[in-house]
Amino acid sequence: MKWLPSGWQLHWRRFAVMLVKELKQLGRDRVLLAFIVYAFTADIFLAASGVSLSLNHAATLVQDQDRSPQSRELLSRFQQPYFRMDGAVAQDAAALAALDQGRAMLVLSVPPQFGKQLANGQSTSVAMQVDTTNSVLGFLATSHAQQIVSQYGLESAMRRLGLDDKAAASLPKVQNDIRVWYNPNQQDSWFMGVAEMLNIATVFAVLLPAAALVREKERGTVEQLIVSPLTPFGILFPKVVSMTGVILCGVALSLFLILIPVFAIPVKGSLLLFFALSALYVFTTAGLGLFAATIARNLAQAGMLSILILAPMLFLSGAWTPPEAMPVWLRGLMYASPLHYYLDIAFGVLLKGQGLAELQPAILGMSGIGLLVFTGGLLLFRKQFD
Amino acid sequence: MNLQRVWAIAGKEWREIVRDRLFFSLAFVVPALLMLLFGYGLSLDVENIPFAVVDHDRSAASRDYAYRFIDSRYFRFHGYVGDERMAGQLIGSGEVRVVLVIPPQFGKRLAQGRPAAIQTLVDGSFPSRAMTTKGYVSAINAAFSLAAVAQAVSHATGLSQQDALAQLTPIALESRYLYNQSVSSIWSLAPKLIMVILMLSPPFLTALGVVREKENGSIFNIYASNVSRGEFLVGKLAPYVAISSVNILLLWLLAVLLYQVPFKGSLLFFLPATLVYVLCTTGIGLLVSVLVRTQVAAMIVTMVVTMIPAVLYSGLIIPIVSLGSGARLVAQLMPAMYYTDIVVGCFLKGVGLLSLWRPLAVLAGYACLLFAIGYRLFSKRPNT
Repeated sequence: MKWLPSGWQLHWRRFAVMLVKELKQLGRDRVLLAFIVYAFTADIFLAASGVSLSLNHAATLVQDQDRSPQSRELLSRFQQPYFRMDGAVAQDAAALAALDQGRAMLVLSVPPQFGKQLANGQSTSVAMQVDTTNSVLGFLATSHAQQIVSQYGLESAMRRLGLDDKAAASLPKVQNDIRVWYNPNQQDSWFMGVAEMLNIATVFAVLLPAAALVREKERGTVEQLIVSPLTPFGILFPKVVSMTGVILCGVALSLFLILIPVFAIPVKGSLLLFFALSALYVFTTAGLGLFAATIARNLAQAGMLSILILAPMLFLSGAWTPPEAMPVWLRGLMYASPLHYYLDIAFGVLLKGQGLAELQPAILGMSGIGLLVFTGGLLLFRKQFD
Repeated sequence: MNLQRVWAIAGKEWREIVRDRLFFSLAFVVPALLMLLFGYGLSLDVENIPFAVVDHDRSAASRDYAYRFIDSRYFRFHGYVGDERMAGQLIGSGEVRVVLVIPPQFGKRLAQGRPAAIQTLVDGSFPSRAMTTKGYVSAINAAFSLAAVAQAVSHATGLSQQDALAQLTPIALESRYLYNQSVSSIWSLAPKLIMVILMLSPPFLTALGVVREKENGSIFNIYASNVSRGEFLVGKLAPYVAISSVNILLLWLLAVLLYQVPFKGSLLFFLPATLVYVLCTTGIGLLVSVLVRTQVAAMIVTMVVTMIPAVLYSGLIIPIVSLGSGARLVAQLMPAMYYTDIVVGCFLKGVGLLSLWRPLAVLAGYACLLFAIGYRLFSKRPNT
């Protein structure tokens, strides 16, 4: 085919051929394809609809030994969504058993004489046993309970001191009006849905290209590619591009089929920008997968190496746990994770409506990592076969 | 079932694993490393929340109010900002999560015994964090308010300030933290990390091990041999269960010695129960490997059916009671949730078989079911 002009058209041809090869290879794995669709739709639906990271419906048992109007009034203030009253318990042993078996998270006990003491202006107390096997929720439950109890105490004290509502209005109280931005109703579905979409995209972005490369190695087909006129870049690049395309389709699927129509996620920024940056993200993350694949000699090794890359990325990205609480050295490590930037970008574009200007630091960080990883991977790959 | 054949298959598999040095070491290194990384890194405590203050009042009272936040370990003071617009930019860029806006006349109104208002802006893009933050803000605000009211009451009634405060807080809440007295995050986390890691690593090892043979075609040797399905599966899985058993001990040691999590239960119950759990997760790997044909698919399917559910639907971060009905159903379909009860019960609650026989029975049933399905689906005469 000498009549073909050399130069970019030849490269384009080779690229196109390799791209088609990769897509065909992927398309033949029906199970995998079905699974990609499942992960980007049903899995995200479940996470968005059912998972909440907030204190919700803490199962509460009460032990009311007083049965006065005051005790009933106080207990009635423990309400949804934080607390869910699961009924009464008579004995301490039964309460403890319920906590042991995880049927209750809280047991509230009002002592006898509670109402009388309160009416006489004596100080009294309410006991609460908290299951703190989940430390954060235990803490949250305690702080909510504390507020309910002290508010009720304050009100009854005011009444006893003869300070009615009007007098109470002329006390030096501070009213703190808390406004929550970007997600005013704190809908967990927005957060969990988007976070899950990013996590799934990450899993595929690391694993698909890694597997595609190692497979060639394991079957020896990579030798054929090496002796072909393709450069290492010519081998790796189409792999990454095809996988990026597949993952972007997945992201589009979850965005337009699940997140926007079902959960009404507001898209405040530009979708074009979001997809462009998602492509950049998948590209960068694919580099990490290729890195693992270059080190590994077979898929089993690549698989274990990928867990080593993926698990910290997902767990420590800040999607599930607050990054502020991380030790400083780990936070430093997180700056090396592209997911860290992608989270900022996705929430920035979708919920905050940010544009290029605001996202510049995140974009620069991500591109930097991408460049580094790709050059490193290419050098390693070339060294292996030269 | 011929034990000699099982032994032969297991021996072959074991040699294959050991000869692949990198894979063999990764099988032990990955779980330990994840335990270290998550144990130190995965703090669930919402602390050091960066915040800024817009103080239009600049009175002693407004400084006093802001100081309550600056002094708290839950917040990290980023500085005073000039106006709301700049504060908004700080929230937008994620540099701060909370901004207090103190209006003019704040101190004056309080001094006159009148209520005063304050506005707090919270970054809500992470709802759970926003909720916790709101909790902290309300608590600090309530404490400040109470002190101010107590001062006013003592002024009006002639009571001492301390007495006034006592009068205004007639009810004390006596909280008793069960199982985790210091409400320490690592105590509640480390046992569950064992659950997560044992959900990640064994299925991966197993799925890759079985599918490798399929993809390489060496499985045809098995098809052609007189080894029965059961013998093959048991022999094939035994080395992976053995590796995972060593990992159980390793993870337990890390939790007890490194993170100093108290182990209140009995090892005699914990170890066999954990082994049953590992059989379940190995069974998941087996099932995946029977269903898929390529190692790529094996890897990805395993990853998605284990890693994410192990976090979201297991009680690691979110308690099962807080899940929606669909997610709770998923949780009940996964073994992780049952094992969470066991591992937390053994470590923190010190309960044993008496309280935990139910989840253990579910896990045992689960393992049997998985192996039965795997056995049924594994065919020595594939259609392809």
